[in-house]
Parts: sequence; structure tokens; C-alpha cells
Amino acid sequence: MTSPAGSTKSSELARIAAEAAGTHFSSVQFTLTHGSSLPVSIVDPDKEDPNGWPTDFCHFSAAGLSVSVSTWPSAVSAFSGRVQLGPAEDLGQRETYTYFGHAVPNPGFLNQSTRKFEVLVTLGNTHWSPTYREALMQALVIEKVTGLAAERDAPVLHLHSPVAPVPQTNKNERGDGSNERLRDAIGPCLRFSIGMDPKMAEARLDLETELAALAEEYGFGLKLSDQRLNRVRGEWFTIRGFDRERYRSARGRLFPDAPVLTPRRAVIASVVGPSRPGTTAAAVAALRARGIGVLAASISSMRKTTFINLLLPVAAGVPGTLPQWTGGWVEALPRLTACTGPPFEGGDSSDESLIADWKVAVSPSMRCTYPPSSQQTGATITGRVPYPIWLWWQLPHRSVDTPALLAEVQAALQPHTRRCEIAYAQSRLCRGDVVRGRAKLIVMLSQEHRDHAHVQRLLTDATEQAQLRIRERLPALGRVDPSKVRLRLSPRERWLTYAGISA
Amino acid sequence: MTVHLRGPSAVADRRGDGPLDQLRTMIRALPVPTSPLTFPSREAALGLALMDLSFRLDHLPRLSEHLTLMDRGHMSRTISVDVDLDLISGRLRDTLTVPGDSALWVPVSRYSRRDLAPVVIKDSNGEVVPRLSHRDANRVTAAAFVKLLFMLINAHDDVSAPASPIHQLRHTHQRSRWLVEAAITELIMVGSPAGQRLRTPLDHAAPPNTTSSVRDLALAGVEALFATDDVPYARLLQLAVRQYILVAQLGPERPRRFLTWEAPLLPAQHRPAPLQSLAKNVLPVNREFVVEYETEIPRSVKAYHLTLDVRQEISVRRFLMSSDVDEEFVEVLAQDLESVARRAERLGPHHKLFELEMQGIASRLAELGRRRLVDLAGYEAYLARLPIPVRPDATPPLRLTAEQVLRKLSDGDCSLDVLAAFCAHYATDGLQHLARTGLAGPALLNIAAGLRAAQVGRDVTTDNDPREHGAHAHWRRPSVELSPQSTEPVRVFAFMALADEAPALIESITRMVAGLALVVLGIGTLLSGGVDWLYSSRVSDHFAPDQADAVVAVLLLVPGLLLARLDLPSTKSVLGQLHKFQRTLAAASVVVTTALAIVVGTVHSDREMTRWFQLALAVLIVILICCLCEFSARRRHRSSSVPRSTRVPRWLRDARRATGRTVVPDDFFDARGEV
Repeated sequence: MTSPAGSTKSSELARIAAEAAGTHFSSVQFTLTHGSSLPVSIVDPDKEDPNGWPTDFCHFSAAGLSVSVSTWPSAVSAFSGRVQLGPAEDLGQRETYTYFGHAVPNPGFLNQSTRKFEVLVTLGNTHWSPTYREALMQALVIEKVTGLAAERDAPVLHLHSPVAPVPQTNKNERGDGSNERLRDAIGPCLRFSIGMDPKMAEARLDLETELAALAEEYGFGLKLSDQRLNRVRGEWFTIRGFDRERYRSARGRLFPDAPVLTPRRAVIASVVGPSRPGTTAAAVAALRARGIGVLAASISSMRKTTFINLLLPVAAGVPGTLPQWTGGWVEALPRLTACTGPPFEGGDSSDESLIADWKVAVSPSMRCTYPPSSQQTGATITGRVPYPIWLWWQLPHRSVDTPALLAEVQAALQPHTRRCEIAYAQSRLCRGDVVRGRAKLIVMLSQEHRDHAHVQRLLTDATEQAQLRIRERLPALGRVDPSKVRLRLSPRERWLTYAGISA
Repeated sequence: MTVHLRGPSAVADRRGDGPLDQLRTMIRALPVPTSPLTFPSREAALGLALMDLSFRLDHLPRLSEHLTLMDRGHMSRTISVDVDLDLISGRLRDTLTVPGDSALWVPVSRYSRRDLAPVVIKDSNGEVVPRLSHRDANRVTAAAFVKLLFMLINAHDDVSAPASPIHQLRHTHQRSRWLVEAAITELIMVGSPAGQRLRTPLDHAAPPNTTSSVRDLALAGVEALFATDDVPYARLLQLAVRQYILVAQLGPERPRRFLTWEAPLLPAQHRPAPLQSLAKNVLPVNREFVVEYETEIPRSVKAYHLTLDVRQEISVRRFLMSSDVDEEFVEVLAQDLESVARRAERLGPHHKLFELEMQGIASRLAELGRRRLVDLAGYEAYLARLPIPVRPDATPPLRLTAEQVLRKLSDGDCSLDVLAAFCAHYATDGLQHLARTGLAGPALLNIAAGLRAAQVGRDVTTDNDPREHGAHAHWRRPSVELSPQSTEPVRVFAFMALADEAPALIESITRMVAGLALVVLGIGTLLSGGVDWLYSSRVSDHFAPDQADAVVAVLLLVPGLLLARLDLPSTKSVLGQLHKFQRTLAAASVVVTTALAIVVGTVHSDREMTRWFQLALAVLIVILICCLCEFSARRRHRSSSVPRSTRVPRWLRDARRATGRTVVPDDFFDARGEV
């Protein structure tokens, strides 16, 4: 029998190498921004240099803090170690800290042939307002679930927390989801995807079984992406519902002394290095061993370089005077302990050799803000509820930069909303010289309504009109052929898929 | 089209003959270099870009192959491709740009290093397109491999561990790395086509007593970098040493181009056993000439045309194409089935998880059933539009209930009937709660075995050319790719049955034999004065003619004239093969009449003469019976619903209830460039 994945891997290696070696480039250059503002475009539209356009972009925001990463190929190839990271020039924006670095991509990290396997973990059924204890519990869950993947040499392709929870569907609801309850914009949920080799079905089954066992042990809810054919992203299959009592008792048993307060300040730590399986588990385990929880997380791999962005809660009594800092992972641990403040005694117990050569950028401690309570459904008394809107796009490369596009989307939604934030956005350069991306926006409608059906109609109208406006504006913005623009905005994640995008 | 990225069997054909073994042999055989081999970084980038594009060929939306059967054992191929330069990403285009020009180097195909015939690429205007010479292509490929090796060393986990061979190769012991690089370069420049052993001077010398630390470190470095022969780098290296890349220079002003070239002449791979050929040639089976063709096309190709041309005297009785486009999907599904069957007990407590797995499996099974049913409908339509249509299958569909389907599947019955019924029940939500049915458990192992045995991963495309002496099959990539991430090339099999259809030689020969029999009968009757001699033992007194010359002249001239009008083909051509037995029949009938003429001229006894005439007539009647057998065999061949070939998917043979064993083709052509 043939060995499909292996053969596919050969051509993937050729592709990576060809891209990495293109003309003079052999490394990846990146900028990393920690701050509380929206992503800013770092590309000058008049710039003629075709290599000045980033190939990959990632933005994540939670608790009022955000992280943006842009990568593009670089000519610099001679530097010591695998990653180089340092603070960049101050752009003059308040509470924005930018870092600049280079990384050597890891051509041995081949994951194109893998089967993506997505998991949604529910850590609560109320609104998102994490406490120190919750943060520790979340760190534990991240460590455990990514550890399971690492045991099987499966890479974590992305991980996000908090994300939009998925309401339980009833059997009598319509299959297309048009009548399903509106989703919360964010909730105490964790979403991650793992790349499994399709040939390793047994490893995948073992991983699923152990995840289910873990969910049973800690009481968290577990949903897996629906693996049926023709099911798209955003369709889930519930394996276990959230068990509130069991989760509470596990949390109380494991972290009896952790304060039950919502952190007022947090630091952003970005751990950067060449992609390898098992790195997330190693990083989070080391932090948890020092009593540091994880408030929010965004992990993604771009150009074979992994960016682990973590929001770490700062203990109440710690003075927030330490400035931004960059350095190696080993030196970063005492620094992070000093920043976040939980008492730590004892030596290094966890195995950190896996990411010992990685670099870390730590922001100063910054103030957190939490979204207003949403109580699961749209039907609150005031009607002031943040709703999620999903965005999918495909544009020719070097036409419109992702931050510019996101700003355009926000502007287009402006007439319908009183607030519009970008919870996450990710774009990457794909085959055929096109940039594909996905984003989730959190909006608060300018009209307040308690009626579910009415709000639903408002959201649909808002997205349809915004979509039209963006499509009209984009050709002028990026001098791009309108026939090459594909963009879809929808209040339902699973309605984003374009026919034939798998081709 | 010869793109090949096959699995382990192709990587390490024989022990000690894998690409890394060849690299090790080269490291042992080459002198240790004293200076590094430097390649310009531009060449390395070009080599990597060519390698990448030539494996995927995703800038070729359409591919056509025109086959012409030259004679028995040789097939010529004309390949045409549509090239769309806009599908090449901007960064790769920068790399592919010809220095000092705006044109691009674009790989259009790969072919075996054993095919040494020159290739001339022409565009739609008939103008010759410049090509990159093999030497230059090899040089940039070598530069690419050296660069890739350097990148792998740089990204290796041990590169910062000072005692490791990787660190030494990178930082402290450069000569060992130069040696590995020199070995790679030599291997690619010299090449080693499949099936040929790599020969080095070491084969002629006794093993040296001394060891070299530089060489040992180089070998240790290769060992540390590539643990097994199955690593992607090894596969790429194997392809580079076995195949050439065909690279054309195309200007960017016309991004969509049509290119065509004559591929090297393809010799037949093997012939059937002599005994089998003999049987076909001496028995009245109205033989068909069966040709099978196998090639590989890039998975990204959206349309593939395969056309066949033969001499006008030959008819293409059947032309069928099958591709393994869903084979990978079926294999992954079968592995999933086996894993779930083995893990059924562990999954048991997690009921929802088990259900998710079962539903995932069910959805894929249903999709396979749907696809193959579409293929079967296409095949039935093909049979109906044949010049001599084949009757449709008379048995009505089974119309199985959901329980019956599950029971049959549990028994490993993956026939199309069952899969189609499964698809119908799945689509109407009739298969919920599968984890609670008898299907969940060891029965899944039977399904996996059934799927593999039925070859449901292979599709079927039929001939749509109305001409009798030509054929054309148009394969389209399925609208939904079931293995979207795969870049595995699609293997295509074509089955062609060539035959001598009406007006056929056998018809003329039958008429000739009948005519000769009548001549013999007439002369005998005239000589004996009645028809008694045919059945009676009594001998007429005047049977022996007084003037034998006239009878001899008739017996010699008539067959000669008839034979001259037959226009028998050369024995080397395909038509000659088809007519071999029929030619024997014609010759035998002439031999009979000639022998009779000799008898008439030399024998004077009435009795002997009568017996000779009786014998000659009997032999001619036997020959005539052979001719009629040929007609009956032809009728049987024409009504055959499914070809008896291993390259026709099993599910199709089962669906049409073809039970006969498969036969070896007369000619098999392999254009995969690897074998």
C-alpha cells in the first residue's frame, strides 16, 4: 500500500524549503505588539518593496489587552541561536510595546498532511470573569490537554481562550442552525486544534478517549469538531456537558488557596521559537509549577515558528513597576514570577529543555477590563449584549493588509453598532498567492432589543450591509480586482464556508 | 506524465538500494574535499522552486495524453498541457525569473532518467519553446539539496549540543559536511535510474583497512539527520536521482499557454507467458489484443484527457479508464475502521465519542457509495451506446432495509448494492445511534477488509469517442476532493481491447474456405457423376480424370487468386497479431487444395483419388467449423459486460457479476517513469 501522508510530506518539505530559500530569504522576520489598542498596519501602502508585505498575521485580544504578530521572510540569516528578539523603536502609542525579531523556521515541522482535529473545552456556563483560581485551573487544563497531544507527537496548531461558547442544540431545532440560540461573544471556553497524522487513527482515538476521561475527571465540558463529511468548521459534536459540581470540587481540591478574585492587572508574555510538538505543554507547565495561572491564551504557528501568547494575571499586592523585557526562556521564568507575584519556593521541577532556546517578550503589567455580563443568551433585561460576528476573507497578496482590512470592517459595521472589537484575527498567505483569513468580532448593537428573533434579524442585516460596503470599498483601498475579492461576514461561524474552497 | 512520489516500496526497493544507502556509498567512495562546494544562493533557490513546483504541478490545470500504438510493443505519446502562470505564487515567480529577462523557468513534467530521447516542446503557434538543459537542471537540483541539507542541520534539535555530530557538522568539522554535500552533488549529477545498481570504484577494490574520522563523522551525521529511509528528504533525493525535470522557458506576457511535446517512445513492459500466447494463436477464440496503460497525473490537475489512435482497420472494442483518486481516502477510512474495532471496548464507556466515530465512518461510507453509483451509471450508459450494445443487468436492485444493510456490511459485503442502500439510508437519517447497533465492534474489521477487496477507491471513466478506431476518455477531478491535503499523484489505469470488427478478415476467410470446399465438392461430383462419393464407400470407375491438368490448374489458381485478395498484414503489427490464427486457417485451406492438386496430378487409382477428395473436403469442413467458432467467440467477446482485467476495479466486476478470472494483457505500458 502507498504511504500517502509521507509522500505528501515530501512535497510539503520541498514547498517549505522553496519558500524559505526564495531568492535570498532564509529566515522569518516578525514584529510582536503587546498593547491595549487595535492592530495597526505596519505596511506603508505606497511601499514598492513587494517583500515588505507580511505573509502571516495574527491578532488576539481579551480582557482589554491585545497581542498582534506579523511575519514575513527575511534576508538575515546569521544570528546566534534559533530566535532573536528585542524591543523595537517606540511608535509613540500609549501602552503599546513592540518587539522585533528573527527566527529560523523548522523545515522538519511538517503538518500540512495532518488531519485537523478541533476541540472545544467548556470551563463554565456563566459569563467570562476569570478569578486567579480559574486562571490556575485553565492553566492546568491547557497543560493536560496539550500534554496529551505532545505524548503522541501531535502539534497544537492553534489554541484560543476565551472563545465563544456553543449553546446546546435541541433536536427540534432546524438543522441549518437558523433558529439556534444566539451565541455569546466570549465565555469561559478553550478552543484548540491538533494536527494528527491520518494514518495514526489509533493515536487519535486514544487521545479522544483520554480527553473524555479528563473531562470526566475535572468536570469540564467537551465538544469535538463534527468529523462527518461535509461538516464545516463551527459544527460541534457534544461528548460531555459541563458538570458544574464536579468542576467546582476539582477546582477547590486542586487550588484551595488561590484567591477568588478577578485580577485587575495582567502581563502579556509571548514565548517564541521554532515549531515543535509539546512546547505549549512545557511552557504552561513551567508557569503553573510557579503558581502562575493563565487568564487568556492564543497559540499559533506561523511560517513554522510558534508564538505562545499568554495573559498572566498579576497578584493584587505586586507593584507594577517593571518595564517591558525580552530574553531567553530560562531567564524569563524568575522574571515572570517577579512580575506576577505568586510566592514560589523550590527548584525547577518541570522539563524545560524543549523550549530552553526559545525567547520571551514580557510586557509591563497592564490594566484589564472585562466585558459586560451576557448571561448566555441574548435575552437579558437591558439587551446590551455583546454578540460575535465571524469574518472570512480571501484577497490577493500585496493588495490590502490585514489590519487595514479589519479597520475597514469595523468602519463598515459602525452604523449598526455602538462597540465593535476584534477578538481574534488570523491571516496567512496560501497557495495561489492569496491571503486567506478568519476573524471574530465582538459587537454591541446600537439598537437594544430583548426579542431573540428581532436581534437575529438585526445582526443578519448588519452583516449583510457591512459586507456589501466592504466589497465596494476594498477595490479602491488596495487597487485590487473586485472579482478576486471573497469576503463573508456572518453571525454564524458555520455559514462562512465558500463553496469549493477545499479545491 | 511522470510525477511520482510513491510510498516505501518504491523508496527502498531492495535492501541496500535506498536513496540514503546510495548516499552512504557515495560518502565512502568519494575523496574528502578540501574546500567547500559553493553554489550561488540564487541557484539553490531556483532548484528548490523547481523541485517544489515539479512535484505538485498545480500550475497545470489541464493535461492531455495522446497515445498511438505504433506496433506490437511500442507506443508513442504526445503530451499537451495548459499552463497557467498566474497560479504560481509571486515569491516563487521571483525565484524562477530568468536572469536578465522577464521570462520564467517553469517545470512542466518529470520523466525517467532512462528515457534519453530528445524532447522538443512547442507552443500553440508551433514555435519551439526553450528548455533548461539537463545539466543545468541537475546543477540547480544539487544546489537545492545542499541548501535543504543545510537548513535541516540548522533547524535540528542537536545543533546547539556541542558533542553531537550535527553540531560538529555545522560548526567545527566542516570537511565532513563538505563531503556529504559533495556526495549529494555527485549522486544527482550522475543519477541512478530505477533498477540499476549504483556502481562505484569501491566495488573493484578490497575494503580499506584504515578508517577516516572525517568520513565517519559524515556518516554519523547522515545517520543522526535521517533516522529512516522513509524521511521526506530521502524521497526527494530518490526522485532527483531517478528522474529529470522538464523545464520550459515561458514569457509572462501570456500567462495562459498551451504546450505540447512528444514524450519518449514507450516500450511494452512485459508479455504474457508463451503458453498463453500459443493458446491464443492456435485456438479459434477470435482473439482480442488487450493493451493496458498506466500513468500518474498530478492531483491538482482539473481535467485529464486520454486519447488513443489505432490503424483504421482495427476497432477499439472497449476503452476504460480507472483512477485511484479516492484510494487514499478509502485507506484512511479502512484504518479508522480497524482502529475503532480494536478500541471498541475502550470507547464503550464514552458513548457519545463512539457515536461520533461511527457517524464519521458512516458519512464517508455513504459518500463512497454515492460516488461509485454515479460511476456505475456512466458505465451502463457506455455499454448501451456501444456500436453493438450490451444488455443492461436484468436483475432488479435488492432494495435493502436499514437492518439488512447493516447485516450485510457486518459480513464484509461492500458491494455497490449495499453501499448505495447505505448511502440512501444515511441521507434520510435512517442510521442514527450506530454505536448501539451490531456494526460497532469486530464487524468493522470485515467492512475494512471488504472495502479494500472491492477497490472502492477507484473510479471509472469510459470512452466517449464515436469513432471505432479511436478512443477518448475525459477524467475530471471530483468537485469535492476527499483528501484535500494530499499531493499524492493520481494513478491512472487504462484498459483497451482492440479487435477486428466487421468487415473483418475472418468473414473473407470463411467465404474463401466455403468457396474452396464448394470447388472440391464440385470437381468431385463432376468426376464421379453424382454426389454418391460423399457418403458411399462405392468408388466410381472414372474418378481419376483423363486430363488431370485442367483440374490441377483450377485447384491451384482459385485458392491463389482468393488468397491474393485477402491483403494479409505483417506479423509484427497489432493487426498481424489479431489475424494470426485466421491467417493460419487461410493458409491451411490453400495447403489442402494444393495437396489435392498434387494428388490429382500424380495418382491414377480411382479409389485413392476418391479417398483423397473425401479427406480434402473433410479438412476444409473442419476449417470452416473453426471459422464458425471464431464467429461465436467474437459474439461472446462483444457481449462481455466487464473486461477481465486486474486494472478494472473489483466493485465494477462484482456489480456486473463478472465471475471469470482475470487475464494478462498482451501489452502493458508503464509511463510512471519509475519502474
